Parts: sequence; structure tokens; C-alpha cells
Amino acid sequence: MTQPLWAQPIELLAPKLKTGKLSPVALTQACLDRIAQVDGKLQSFIHVSSTALEQARTAEREIRAGTWRGPLHGIPVAVKDNYLTRDMPTTAGTVAPDISFPLRDSAAAARLRKAGAVLIGKTRTHEFAWGNVTPPVRNPWDFSRVPSGSSGGSGAALAAGLCTAALGSDTGGSIRMPASVTNTVGLKATFGRVSRDGVVPHSWSLDHAGPLARTVADAAHMLNVLAGYDAADPACQAQPTPDYTKALRKPIKGLRLGVCRNHFFERNQEDVERAVEQAISDLAAQGASVHDFKVPLLEYGLGAIFAIELASSTAYHDVSLRAGRTPHYQPDVRSLVEIGRFVTGPDYLKAEQYRAVLMEEFRKVFDNVDVILGPTTPITAWKIGEWTVDVGGKQESVLAASWRFTYPYNLTGLPAISVPCGFDRAGLPIGLQIAARPFDETMLLRVAHAYEREHEWKDRLPNI
Amino acid sequence: MSTPLDPYRDILGVEVTPERLEENLAAFDDIRREIEKLRQLDLTEVHPAIVFEPTAPYRKGGAR
Repeated sequence: MTQPLWAQPIELLAPKLKTGKLSPVALTQACLDRIAQVDGKLQSFIHVSSTALEQARTAEREIRAGTWRGPLHGIPVAVKDNYLTRDMPTTAGTVAPDISFPLRDSAAAARLRKAGAVLIGKTRTHEFAWGNVTPPVRNPWDFSRVPSGSSGGSGAALAAGLCTAALGSDTGGSIRMPASVTNTVGLKATFGRVSRDGVVPHSWSLDHAGPLARTVADAAHMLNVLAGYDAADPACQAQPTPDYTKALRKPIKGLRLGVCRNHFFERNQEDVERAVEQAISDLAAQGASVHDFKVPLLEYGLGAIFAIELASSTAYHDVSLRAGRTPHYQPDVRSLVEIGRFVTGPDYLKAEQYRAVLMEEFRKVFDNVDVILGPTTPITAWKIGEWTVDVGGKQESVLAASWRFTYPYNLTGLPAISVPCGFDRAGLPIGLQIAARPFDETMLLRVAHAYEREHEWKDRLPNI
Repeated sequence: MSTPLDPYRDILGVEVTPERLEENLAAFDDIRREIEKLRQLDLTEVHPAIVFEPTAPYRKGGAR
């Protein structure tokens, strides 16, 4: 059965747009109609572009005139509200007074425009990209549950068919967690792969910019546009940028799949663990070998990421703290920004020392494996307002549990992707996380695609 | 005799009410435990994952 336009991936839409069988205007209108139909309840957009149809008409004219810019030409892409855009306001999710952001394009927005994408609107972020619930956004798979965060607006909008792809940002898992709980693909490329110029900073050495997409191939198309050196981002690296779609269909026979048996498999919800173990077996059945290993040092990771993230965020918000603006922040974000003062200089540097050792540990792991597999999150989407959840028979705070498997790859800067790998007994999506060596996104996408093409999870849509 | 330094206000730069300070300290407690674990590691010989790059300002403004 043919899926409606708003549910189709770039890989199906792009050939139709290129050949004129589909108009960018019709596609954009389908997404705008969908926004009008469901976003009143979903709350995923904070701003819908008044020029979306105009952008689509421009794309249509260009394609008709023979100037096809590539697979994103005429594709409606939503932009997380912490990326600056020249024609839409940026709030970074805050309503605090005397905080404003300039009307100019972030590097990612500029690259998408150059590729001919239609920037359809801005999606909600947890305030300043802190936090993991993104109020007031709801999860399209169950409106009583969170879409996670901080890119929860992007995850919810994409899963509900309000856009064809989206931008997110990821400091401790904020692209991959929303992807995991909304049955979408979330890609955090290597630190330095995608420019963060014009993304409101949260924690300079942990922040990553990147896409959420409907399929692995779509994530590759997005990365083809987003990847590349930018001197305006001090962390950006001048590494070669291959065509990330090229190796997608390459068999994975002979590859070595690593599974870190401590940390990632010590405490998961039963259905999550079952789905991820099955995914590992399914990939092994394609001729790859499975190699279990342990990284005991991960035991210290939570303290390290808290030290870096809190200290950095508080430094960024220092002027607002001194000006007395933080009481206007959301209560959870206000607390986090204020308590960053308790992290001492030696704590921060100890965390950076730890980080160097952890990076070396993972380098050694990659002597013996090509990718690392595991769950994206130990839990599926939790209820709005719920602060503790049952994880493997133990009550645990969602703040501690939700990002346990994602933040190691922010500390190490390694590329990681979340791919749908099933549903729990309540019908909530589960994500498989795959990580690879620095700048080896090609390997990451190849393994993710090998899993995705053997399963039909991506074709399931929430019943809204 | 000079007034003794207030460790929160004068050293950590915390400028909140005493009630708010109590709330924040309570909120920080779980995080403090994790940072305390990190402090136990002997990383004396490890260079932090931070590289000072004096040439950085000369790269800015380069082509995108």
C-alpha cells in the first residue's frame, strides 16, 4: 500500500521530485495540512514558516527549469528551535525576558537552503536544550507520554508526518533519545563532522548538530548536506566528506560487531533488552561476528558528563545568572544552571582527564570491532510528569536512566545512530544504538541500513 | 578584623537566597556523589582532552 506523502521518506520522494512526478508544493502542502490537523494536540512546532509554500514554489520552478540541487531539493525539513534562522525567530525554548537571538542562518540552515530544502518551521526544544522531556510536546505513539528530549519537537513532528526530516542537537543524547522513543532514525555524527555555528550553545565540547530522519538512507542524505568543514565552528574538522549513501547496501558479512556487556546491559526494561538482543542476533545472521567486551571505566562517566555539562552551561548562562533572569527559566533548567556553580575547576579538569582515558579505551576496543551495538535508551517513552520509572525491576529516576547509553558517545565524540528495532508490549518504540570509529559514519550507516532493510519497523506509523 | 569569606557567595559565586541554596544543594546531592566517584581516580599523568590551539583565531573567517 502506498503511504501518504507526509509519511514517505526522502529516498522515495526525491526521484519523484526530480522527475516532476511530484511537486514540492504538493509535498509541502501535505505537511502543512498535517500540521494543521494534528499539531494542536502534538505541540511539536513553536513556529511554522510563513514562507514554506513560497520556498516550495521556488524549488518547483528550479526543478522544472532543469536545476535539480540534489535529493533534498523540495523536501520539507523542520529545524530545532536552537538553530538560528534568518526568516524565523529562535527562542531556544525560553520565555525568559531580555534574551534574544539574531535573525541569521546557522551553518546547518544555510547548507539545507543551498541544497534546496524547504525549511518548514521550528520545532520545540527543552529549554536551552537542557533536559529530556521537551514540554509541552507529546509523543505521537501515546499522547500521554513524552517524546524525550531535548529534540523532542523534531522527533514528534517527524514521527507524526509533519515534516520529512528534521534537525536536532545532541549534548548527552538529545538526537538519539527522541529518535528511539518515536520510531525514527537519529544520527549524531563525530564531534567536528557537522558545524554548530549558529546553534545556541549548551556545552561547547559535548554539543553536536545533526539530523533526525525517517530512514537510514534519509539520514545519509541529510549528512551529505550537513557534513563539512566550517571555520566558524572551532571544533569543526577538515575531514574528507564521502557520499554517505554509497556504502549503504554493502553486505556486512565479515564485519565484527562489538557488544559492551557492562554499563549498556546491566539494567534495561525487559522488552528493550529482548528487542536489542534480537537485533544483534539478526545482524549476526547476516554473516557478522559478535564480540562481547567490557569497559569498566564507564562507571565514572556520569560524574564526568555532569561536571562538564553543568560547568559549561553555567558559564554560558553566567550573565543571565548575574542579571537575575534564571528565576524566569523552567524550574528544572533553573536548578541545573544554578547548581553548575558547585562544580569546581579541578572537577571539570578531572572530567576532561577522564575523558581522554575513556577515548583511549574505546580506541582499543575498535582494534577488535567495527561497530558497537546496544540499546539507545534502557526505557521506552515514559508518562508525562513521571520522574521515576521501573528499570529492570528497580525504580530509577528518568534523569539518570534515559541518557545512560547515549552520553558515553558525547564524552568520546564517537559517531552514533539510533535505529528503530521494535516495540514494547505497550506498543512503544525501541531504539538500537550503533557507534563507530571517529569519522567512520559510512560504517555506522552501512550496519544500520543492513538491520533496517531486513525489518519493517520504519513502515509503522503512529495511529493519530 | 575582616569578615570571613562565605564559601558559597564569595568563593563559588552563588548568589541565591538561603532557601534556594538549600534546594539547590539537595538537587546537587546525587550529582555530587557521581563527581565524588570521579575524584577517586588517579589521573595525574593524563593530559585532559583539551587542546589549546594558538592558531585558532587565524582560521576564523575561512571558507565554509
